[in-house]
Amino acid sequence: MNRRLALKQLALAAGGIALIPSCTFSEEEVLTAYDELEITASDAEQLQAVIDTIFPKTTLKGGVELGVDQFVLVMANDCLAENEQQQFVKGLKGFGSFTKENFGTSFTKMDEAERKTHLQSMMAGTEKKGEQQLATQEFLAITKKFGLQGYMKSEYYMTEIMPYQQVPGPVFIGKKKIDASEKVNING
Amino acid sequence: MANLNIKSEEANTYGAIVIGSGMSGGFAAKELCDKGVKTLVLERGRSVVHNKDYPTTNMLPWEFDHKGQIPEDIQRENPVVSRCYAFREDAAHFFVKDKEHPYIQEKPFDWIRGYQTGGKSLLWARQVQRWSDFDFEGPARDGFAVDWPIRYKDLAPWYSYVEKFVGVAGYADGIPQLPDGDFLPGIELTAVEDYFKGVVEQQYPGRNVISGRCAHITGNAEYYAKQGRGICQHRVLCQRGCPFGGYFSSNSATLPWAARTGNLTLQNDAVVHSIIYDEGKGKATGVRVIDAHTKEMTEYYAPVIFLNASALNTNLILMNSTSSRFPNGLGNDNDIMGKYIGFHNYRGGVSGEYEGLGDFTTEGKRPTSGYMPRFRNVQKQETNFLRGYAAGIHGTRAKHVSYDGLGEDLVNNISSAEYGSWHIGSHMMGETIPKETNYIALDESQKDEWGMPQLRVNVEYDQNDEDMIKDYREQVSEMFDAAGFKNIKTWDDERRPGLDIHEMGGVRMGHDPKTSLLNKHNQLHACPNVYVTDGACMTSTSTQNPSLTYMVLAARAVDHAFGNS
Repeated sequence: MNRRLALKQLALAAGGIALIPSCTFSEEEVLTAYDELEITASDAEQLQAVIDTIFPKTTLKGGVELGVDQFVLVMANDCLAENEQQQFVKGLKGFGSFTKENFGTSFTKMDEAERKTHLQSMMAGTEKKGEQQLATQEFLAITKKFGLQGYMKSEYYMTEIMPYQQVPGPVFIGKKKIDASEKVNING
Repeated sequence: MANLNIKSEEANTYGAIVIGSGMSGGFAAKELCDKGVKTLVLERGRSVVHNKDYPTTNMLPWEFDHKGQIPEDIQRENPVVSRCYAFREDAAHFFVKDKEHPYIQEKPFDWIRGYQTGGKSLLWARQVQRWSDFDFEGPARDGFAVDWPIRYKDLAPWYSYVEKFVGVAGYADGIPQLPDGDFLPGIELTAVEDYFKGVVEQQYPGRNVISGRCAHITGNAEYYAKQGRGICQHRVLCQRGCPFGGYFSSNSATLPWAARTGNLTLQNDAVVHSIIYDEGKGKATGVRVIDAHTKEMTEYYAPVIFLNASALNTNLILMNSTSSRFPNGLGNDNDIMGKYIGFHNYRGGVSGEYEGLGDFTTEGKRPTSGYMPRFRNVQKQETNFLRGYAAGIHGTRAKHVSYDGLGEDLVNNISSAEYGSWHIGSHMMGETIPKETNYIALDESQKDEWGMPQLRVNVEYDQNDEDMIKDYREQVSEMFDAAGFKNIKTWDDERRPGLDIHEMGGVRMGHDPKTSLLNKHNQLHACPNVYVTDGACMTSTSTQNPSLTYMVLAARAVDHAFGNS
């Protein structure tokens, strides 16, 4: 209940974000919905941009529309071990400056193609990395993992893409001939 | 004053008291109420009324804040219960949290508990296999524990009786070590399980694969409608409580049945302190109860007391019931109470893949899976370890989506799936040998919030268990190989004792009051108006999931206490 209320407040806060100049970044209020993360509305906006790149709107609904970015924050706040959480926050908070330093433009100012290319390069690679680079990689890996969970457990995905039946009924067929014309449903 | 006391004593007097409303207590209550006995059921936890108090039962997957996962801080604060497979966001409210009810682990032991109306019957895995004489004769044949004072023939009619009320889906498989019961239509095996059954039964005489018999209603709808229960709809969300009453629980079946007789009084938040023993009368006369909220003590009286508080708590209550006649606990003349604790060894697992049957899949869900009854040391001793193990066998057709890529590629990847090979997995359910050195005891100083002594648990695996794990892994791997399964993996998850949630013993049955605590009717030898018919009474553990047998012993004991009145 509190969580849902908090999410609504976040949505309102995020709506007002455009008015805050980036130079006042450090003075922003911490979002109370994510007390463990101590992140600001700008951080949440940064994450939203990442989710929008990982799960863009296509002929299918995009991650932002499904609230996947908010779900990632809920999970990062509630379901991560402390060390992972620290890496997540470090990667998220430093994401703007890290991308600017490494690619000349901060992530939110890139066009969609650039965002995708650079996200891919930041997520890949096993070579020795700097501290912030590692945090960035971990932040993105966690974001993708929780993002997938949020997308694939969304009402949209579980009703329109891979329909889930809460009450399948008493029939169970242990050996059913596969009909090649039928879509394979992971929730079927 | 005297008059007042007599009045309150009258008001607090019943025909029978049942301590615990879970699987076995619920069944005892139903039997007592059916026989016209005014019955008080004492439940230490809160009230959970069928369908009214299942807050998550109709929630859809996307409605859970963490999509099912338990938050990190709750896991950190509750390491024991967090190891239980069913402790998830949808059913966490039915589990005891570690801190609320502390106990002392002298050796690592995961004590999983459900303190509410219905106890763990809301949460159980619903597998109901009968015992056979290969189980009851085990201790005498193999020279451990003591001889069971009962045999299969003593329980057979009661198995039928209980199965009919519970509703058990299964097939008549004709296996000597797993007697057939009174079954509703069975739930079929998956194609790969059925194929494996064929291989095993052809190549390994004496070994079988069956569909696990489960406590789900699959037929005879009219009969179960009288209990207010309906046909199982295969939601497989049982741990939330079932809106159809499709699986058996005390909440959906025995307790409402008992209530309809008008003979049931169910009292929640009633922490039993001890059983009152009257030295003059030479019997138990009632129960001392602490109110979970006010902490006030009240006494209730009855000529017959059923103790069904769950295996370890039943021990605790008896050990805490001291008097000058029984300074070491009610009925504990031989000082073996709390000893010879057994459990089930679930540590081993095997998995594999099968590339055959590529044209087939399954449709729907099912509340059970395949089961291999014990095949080791059944007819005679043939291995370097005593007893044996049953094995769960579960085969499903894999369906994959790819998580590769980013952006449109990723969204496309997760929106289409393809079939993988069949996946087949197994887990062991091993019999453990109850030993004097596996014991529980009351701590002399540490108490819980209600002033009850904390339990010290001293239970561990032994070499017999280790040898059995090794054999299980070898044998199941070999059978998987014989079936042509590939990529066979086997493991020992090294789980702690207790996580099987099949802890048993401490108040064992036997012929001789010198070496056992209960007689063949589950009465304390030294205080026969107290019946113990939960897991505490078990002399040995067999390999079968025990709840069905507890209910059978409870129904039979009520019949002994009150006959056909």
